[in-house]
Order: sequence, then structure tokens, then C-alpha cells
Amino acid sequence: MTKWYEETDQMHDVFVMKRLRLVRNLAGHIFPSRLRGAERLSMLSELEEDFVPMETEEGQPYTYCRLDELEENSRNALYERRIINYSRVEDGEPSGLLLSPDEALGLVLNGEDHLRLQYLSGTQSLENMLARLMRLEETLGEKAPFAFDEKYGYLTTFLTNVGTGLRASVVVHLPMLSNGSQFRKLVQEYSRFGISVKGLSGDSNENYGGLFEVKNQKTLGQTEEELIGLVSQAATQLAAQERKVKSLALRSHRLQLEDEIYKSYGVLKYARKLTYKEGMTYLSQLRMGLCENLVQAEIPVNIFGIMLNIRPANLKQARAQDLEGEALDEARARYIQAHLPKLQ
Amino acid sequence: MLCERCKIREANIRYTEVIGGVATEHNLCSHCAKEMDFGQYTGLASLFDTDYPIGKLLSQLLGLKDGQEMEQAGELASLVCPTCQTSYGDFVKDSQFGCPDCYHMFDLLISDKLKQLHGSDTHTGHKPAGMAAQAQEDILEKPLTPEEQKALLRSKLQEAVAEEDYEAAARYRDAIRALEKQLKKEASVCPENAGAGGDQQ
Repeated sequence: MTKWYEETDQMHDVFVMKRLRLVRNLAGHIFPSRLRGAERLSMLSELEEDFVPMETEEGQPYTYCRLDELEENSRNALYERRIINYSRVEDGEPSGLLLSPDEALGLVLNGEDHLRLQYLSGTQSLENMLARLMRLEETLGEKAPFAFDEKYGYLTTFLTNVGTGLRASVVVHLPMLSNGSQFRKLVQEYSRFGISVKGLSGDSNENYGGLFEVKNQKTLGQTEEELIGLVSQAATQLAAQERKVKSLALRSHRLQLEDEIYKSYGVLKYARKLTYKEGMTYLSQLRMGLCENLVQAEIPVNIFGIMLNIRPANLKQARAQDLEGEALDEARARYIQAHLPKLQ
Repeated sequence: MLCERCKIREANIRYTEVIGGVATEHNLCSHCAKEMDFGQYTGLASLFDTDYPIGKLLSQLLGLKDGQEMEQAGELASLVCPTCQTSYGDFVKDSQFGCPDCYHMFDLLISDKLKQLHGSDTHTGHKPAGMAAQAQEDILEKPLTPEEQKALLRSKLQEAVAEEDYEAAARYRDAIRALEKQLKKEASVCPENAGAGGDQQ
């Protein structure tokens, strides 16, 4: 089945991906993060009994796997595709993952909290996603009541999640805006409104590919609808700014932009090896070219899907072998060439 | 700095008094602060004397940092949740709570932290299905009676007149008339149900 990030019917727009995450715990149970050994294992068994197997609303079965029984690279690959968080890669404690066939809906059992529900999408609106995630949450809540307090809302392991347990995020592609000198300042401004804007990939100092994630910092004191409204609004503002800068640049530097995009395509098409940074940088240029119709692909392509698949653990998983250094960069170049459409 | 009252102990509370717009600063030790009369805020004095942990927590917030206070912080850290054995010290160390009961056990200690993180310490969002239905019922149980509706409309009418918003006032007047007409009609059709007629919707 096509994964959500391989769907090509999405617009080549500033909006790349949306994500909602809900955290829930069972009433009257100790949180998994405080359980060790046999206790943690028996908690997982209880959760498996309650929630596995599971079907999507369309009647397709979720796949289930024990995360602690997967190889580390497979866990890393799931992390790179944003299905699990880093603590699930690291701690190796008994935990499980229910995943819908298109990888859009995921449910982690016995992570830091008893349940971590997630919905990823390239095309849906946050409102529709929230409605669907809440329906799922309600069905789960019918099987086992959640820990809820009239004052604090849904109780979670970390105080940063308490209340709604909701983290909403929109990933926006800002290749032009993020080059501006004022961008860092602009981004900092958002924290005053309880919104964080952070680079999606690369380390804290460097962000590759111009992708930024806009998400809510607060989870308590505002309703779910207010929180997604806030995130939506901030992402829309950034997108509008990006479009403005783009149209200005197109008017004054069209040839230079086209040149950069075609050069990027050339490198992606013919390079023998590509580092992650190079891959992301050129793919970002190409994505912008497709967005602005400066270049047209013969067949529709989801550039973000390629961006996810050229991360190290996913490349290793696709090739079913351990790759390091140059071999990894070579595999990356080959993967991109195999998935890059011809230009018209 | 020595306490300005006893001049023996170190002052560890700075108390700013504003009278008639003139601020005077007092530096007191916690012992004297306890004995001082803080005017209408006499409640404050008792805070230094109350049982663990609120008094100590507050004094911590007020910036007491002497040896005694360090000791109290130690005691605070050893507070343990009876359900999952998570101590407040554990929580401070790794920011993780161990079970739903921790929220009640450390209730007073986390309020500030929550406000700092979220700007609020009260949930306003989604509730579990059972509870939401309950809340809905509570509201439905007490709909406004026609008399209450009429009273509400009348007060709105008066407000509108006072604000010289005659357009709105006319609307309220019409609404009151319509309500009265409806009440009369219902009373004539089914006199015993007259009061409940409007509640069925």
C-alpha cells in the first residue's frame, strides 16, 4: 500500500506535512516510565490484551510489532520516518507499535506513557485530522478508561504534555524565507505565542533542506481546537511570508533561480555519491522549482517522501545491509536517481 | 544584612509596603516576619508557621536560602507518592511523574511550574466521553424557565435602552412579546403543562 509520504496528489506547496500526537494513560495504573523488568512487561501484556489487534476506520488491519524485539536499525528507520520518538529507539524497554498500512496512524503502547497516538498526513487539514484522531481516542477509551483529572485534564508522565496531551505540528518548506537575515528573529517571536519553530533535520546549528516544524509548546489551558488553530495560523503566516519572498525573487532574479534549480537537478541526477546534507539541499531546490512551476516533472513525485527515505537508517533498511561512509552516500545517490522523475 | 526588627538574625525576607503611593522597604528575618502584623495580609504571617509543605514552599518562593531552608528543600525532595514511590526529588531530577496519583500528591508543588510551562494550570479541552455527557446533562437539567427567559430579556432591554441602542431594544421588546404570546397560547391549550412547554426543545 502507498505510504502517506509517497502520495503524489498533494500540492507542491509550502505545507509539507502535518502531525498530531496525543498522549494517554490508563486510570489507576503506574506510568510505564516508572516500571522496570517484569512489571513493565506485564503492563505491555495488559495493553496488548486491551488494544491489539486493531482495525482502521476503513477496515484495514494495523500491523503490530514489539519495538524492543526489532533490530536497532529498524527502530532508527521508524524514528527517521517520525513514527516513534527517540526514547523508543534508545531504551529497549518492552513496548509495542500498532501501525496503519499507510503509516499515517500509529499507536505506541507502553512507551513513556501507556498510549501515544499519532496521525501524519501530507494533505489533510489539522481539523479533519483532529476529528479522526479523537474518534480513535474515544474507541480506545471505551476499552480502558484513561487517567483524567477535572483540573489537570489527561494525566501524563511529563508535565509538558499534561492537559490535552496534544502536540500539533505543521512542517513548512521555507527555502527562501529561511535565508533571510531576519528569519531567526521572526522565529523567536513565535515563542511568545506558545509556538515553537524549529528546523526539521540536521543538528541544532544547521538545518538542511529549508524544512521547519511549527508546533504548540503548551498543552494545558487551551482546547484542542484552539491549539491546532494557533499552529495553523502560525504556519499559514510563515507560508504567506515565504510566498511573498518567492514572488519578489522570481520577479528580480528569475534566471538565477532557474539556473540553481536545474543545476540541483543535474547533481541529483548524475552524482555518484551524495551526503545527506547535499541530498537535502538539492532536493529542497528542486521542490521549490516544482512548487513555482519553474520546472515540471513528467510524472508526479513526492519530494518529501524521497527526503525521508534518504536518511541513513532507511537507506540501510532498503538495501538490507549495513552501510557506512562512502557506501552510504553512494546508496543515497542511487536511490535518488531511481526515484527522480524526468523533467518535461 | 541583619533583620531590622530583632537586629540579631540575618534578614531573609524583603517586605515592601506601599502606603499612599509611598513604598517603604523592610528587611526581616523569617522569625520576626512571622510575628509581624502585615495589616490586611495577616494571612501571610501564618504562612510561615503552617504545616509542611505549603509554608515551606512559599518561603522558598520568597527566596529564603539559609541553612534551614536548604534542609527543608531536602525534606521536600524526600516527599514520596504512596502509589508509585516516586519522590519529589525524582521528579525534579528527570521531570517524570510515576502515576496519576502523583498529580494529587505533588499538587501544590507543581502549580507554579505548570503556569510557567503552559500559562495556566487548568484543563479546558476535551473530556472522556462519559464525563462530557455528564456535563451536558447537568446543563440540560437546568434550562431557563420561560419566566427566567423573560427576566433575562427584560434586563437586556433595560441595558439596551440605557445605552441608547434602540434597535436592539426593539428586538428585545419583540422577543418578550413573542414569548408572552407563546406562554398564553400554551396555557390555553394545556394549562397544566404551561410552565414546562418551553423546555421540551
